[in-house]
Amino acid sequence: MAEAVAANSVESKQYIVVVLGSEHYGVDINFIDNIVRMQSITRVPKVQPYFEGVINLRGEVIPVMSLRKRFGLEPDEVTGKTRILILKPEAQGSIGIIVDSVKEVLTLANDNIDKPSAKGIDDDKANFLTGVGKNGDELVSILNIMEVIQDKEEEE
Amino acid sequence: MDVSQYLEIFIDETKEHLQSLNEQLLVLEKEPENADTINEIFRAAHSLKGMAGTMGYKIMQEVTHKWEDVFSEVRNGKMKVTPDLVDVLFKGLDKLETILDNIINAGNEGDDKCEELIAQLIGFVNGGGAAPAAAAPAAAPKKKAPAKTAAPAEPAAVATETKSEDSSKEKFRQFKYADFEQHAINKAIDEGTNAFGITVYIQESCLLKAARAFMVFKKLEEMGTIAKSEPAVQDIEDERFDLDFSMVFLTKEGADRVKQAIMNVSEVECAYVSALSKDEVESATIKEESAQTDSGAADATATATENKPTATQNAAATAGKPVVNRSVRVDIEKLDDLMNLVSELIIAKNGLVSLNAQQDEVNHAVGNAMGPQIEYLERITTNLHQSVMKVRMVPLESVFNRFPRMIRDVSKSLNKKINLVISGEETELDRTVIDEIGDPLTHLLRNAADHGIETAEERAKTNKPEVGTINLNAYQEGNNVVIEVKDDGNGIDVEKVKRKAIEKGTISKEQSEVMTDKEIIDLLFKPSFSTAEKVSELSGRGVGLDVVKTNIEKLGGDVEVRTVLGGGSNFIVRLPLTLAIIQSLMVEIGTEKYAIPLGSIQTIEDIPVSDLKYVQSREVIHLRGSVIPIIRLNQILDIESTKGADDNLTVVIVSKGDKLAGFVVDNLIGQQEIVIKSIGKYIESPKMISGATILGDGEVALILDVNTLV
Repeated sequence: MAEAVAANSVESKQYIVVVLGSEHYGVDINFIDNIVRMQSITRVPKVQPYFEGVINLRGEVIPVMSLRKRFGLEPDEVTGKTRILILKPEAQGSIGIIVDSVKEVLTLANDNIDKPSAKGIDDDKANFLTGVGKNGDELVSILNIMEVIQDKEEEE
Repeated sequence: MDVSQYLEIFIDETKEHLQSLNEQLLVLEKEPENADTINEIFRAAHSLKGMAGTMGYKIMQEVTHKWEDVFSEVRNGKMKVTPDLVDVLFKGLDKLETILDNIINAGNEGDDKCEELIAQLIGFVNGGGAAPAAAAPAAAPKKKAPAKTAAPAEPAAVATETKSEDSSKEKFRQFKYADFEQHAINKAIDEGTNAFGITVYIQESCLLKAARAFMVFKKLEEMGTIAKSEPAVQDIEDERFDLDFSMVFLTKEGADRVKQAIMNVSEVECAYVSALSKDEVESATIKEESAQTDSGAADATATATENKPTATQNAAATAGKPVVNRSVRVDIEKLDDLMNLVSELIIAKNGLVSLNAQQDEVNHAVGNAMGPQIEYLERITTNLHQSVMKVRMVPLESVFNRFPRMIRDVSKSLNKKINLVISGEETELDRTVIDEIGDPLTHLLRNAADHGIETAEERAKTNKPEVGTINLNAYQEGNNVVIEVKDDGNGIDVEKVKRKAIEKGTISKEQSEVMTDKEIIDLLFKPSFSTAEKVSELSGRGVGLDVVKTNIEKLGGDVEVRTVLGGGSNFIVRLPLTLAIIQSLMVEIGTEKYAIPLGSIQTIEDIPVSDLKYVQSREVIHLRGSVIPIIRLNQILDIESTKGADDNLTVVIVSKGDKLAGFVVDNLIGQQEIVIKSIGKYIESPKMISGATILGDGEVALILDVNTLV
């Protein structure tokens, strides 16, 4: 479905808008496999600090990271709205990211997305974004998923 | 003609043939006169040629054809097997392997036309054919006779292409009859039955030659009896023939009807049918005496007489007839699917088990009928798992069998004398491990040959036997399979390694002084560390042992070295028997659950804190005569222990080879069959965690890697 829509409108893409604190982020819908409620997470020792651990999703073991910790924000406060976005960037290999809540599906035309300007956003985070989209009055930061889930600095 | 659907079978069978050729050539090198081996090679080359031809691989066909020529000469005693010839043959084998690789990877044979090689082989055929004749002119006329009688009996491939006259196509005219066959035919003719010689040609495009041949046989058997066929019926059924087969057929029907019946079978190109006379049969019958007298070479006679009672046809077709194997080739992917399903089943079963346990608590286990059924289910799933595992198991032989050849080449190029002793090749391992273990082992063996074994002169100085020995040994140990590569060479010079490490800046001088010998030797497994004085073609490029180590660790195994300076080294590779499902002990540390593979657990001990001793400021316990280091899992895994400082310690004693260690845990939960799952990409899994598993209640527990922790 999602692909069909994307194909029809050449210039626009669909995004899932998630909320993190007071900010809105958009995740390309093509990456998303599933959205699940918060569930018990098994901690894995000695991994990157922003990884919360692993969960069992229908028999698959999937690592889960906290987007808040990844962005250096306050730790998550689990509420009824907390969700885990299951992303599937590659055929084999899923990863979950924890967000405060999921808001809506948004269709954004490509020309409605501004490339991130170097100013105003701190460098660390700038890499994680591909641009900023305008949704009415709100601004939605479009996440660069591959950048978020891959750990360049520590891999070396 | 679309043959792609046969490609896989072709590849599998070609691999088998190449392997068998490799083994036979090694034998031949040692026993150049071994007639069985020569026949076996001839047969394998012939089959390869046929298969390559069918698939349209011209270069392969050409090379194997030349092989066949060479061995046909050898078989007829016209040529001797020389070391030079064996070298060229080995080279040819490598070429064939390259071609096969190209076919697998690129779908074609590649650009190398192998002209040089083919020329060399032709040279041997020509030169070799002349040499014995010149050397022993007196024997020559005698030798010619058996050569002639044997040659036409070969599954002739050469003759058909050039000549087109009917007489040469009527291959039954070249039949040699055994006495009993002659009698049968004569008797039939006496009784007024027609004896026909028949040669049937099947269309080149036919893919199921055996099936067509079978149909021809069936049709004929409705009308009469087949007195003799060439190749033998069994070979025809196994498709070991080119495009034609011939037979002697006894029937009351006329020649036209017989021919008609054969031509009615589809994909038959043409059939030659003509009546045989008694004289013809008689003249072609091999007499006992002639076989005795005419052969100069003793071996040739031996084969000829041996084969006589069974059939008079060529030795190659009959000598190495394999025992019929009741087995099925299965795609490894299907097995993987099956394995996954079994894994799912076990997870589901574990779910049921834990549900049942909860129910028991509620109902106080009064009259619970679920229990026995669940136990039954547990037994079945465990057995099912074992059966599937067994199906996936492949003996290490399939990896080991390439090594004799390799060591031969290596020892030649290094000019060392090396004897490779293989044992335990029947030990079985999971298919996925088998596929990956070849390269690391190759490396270790080359290492042993290159760095381990000394040159013959050096060995002489140290009073060692001139021929060095490399032992390749495999055996099972608990849930592991151990493969040892042991040489009786010079061993590892710890001082040399130390010097090199300091030179390279891997360690500092101060560090080197406090390091144990073992730690120094472990440096060899560090990336880009090679002690070879010279960079040789074989090893010493500095990408050796670290690659071995990473590859083996990727398989969930580990490698260690034991070495005695002057006495040799022993590389011990330890691999898990299975990659998917294991029995484990579930333990609790703090509030978290971890699984420890049962195979590595020795005992579980309850130790009072007062029994703890300190050696080099490490905690140890003294248990039944051995000092065992204590590893507090809660510290390593960053968990708060729920136990007080004065409580007794629950210690799980684990082993890695003959090394022991004690894991301190808070609670024991129990034994459980667990399915190993990867903890996923993107997360940098720590080495001490070998994977994760899903428990009965749906929670994820991590599996501890004993080999890394000990």
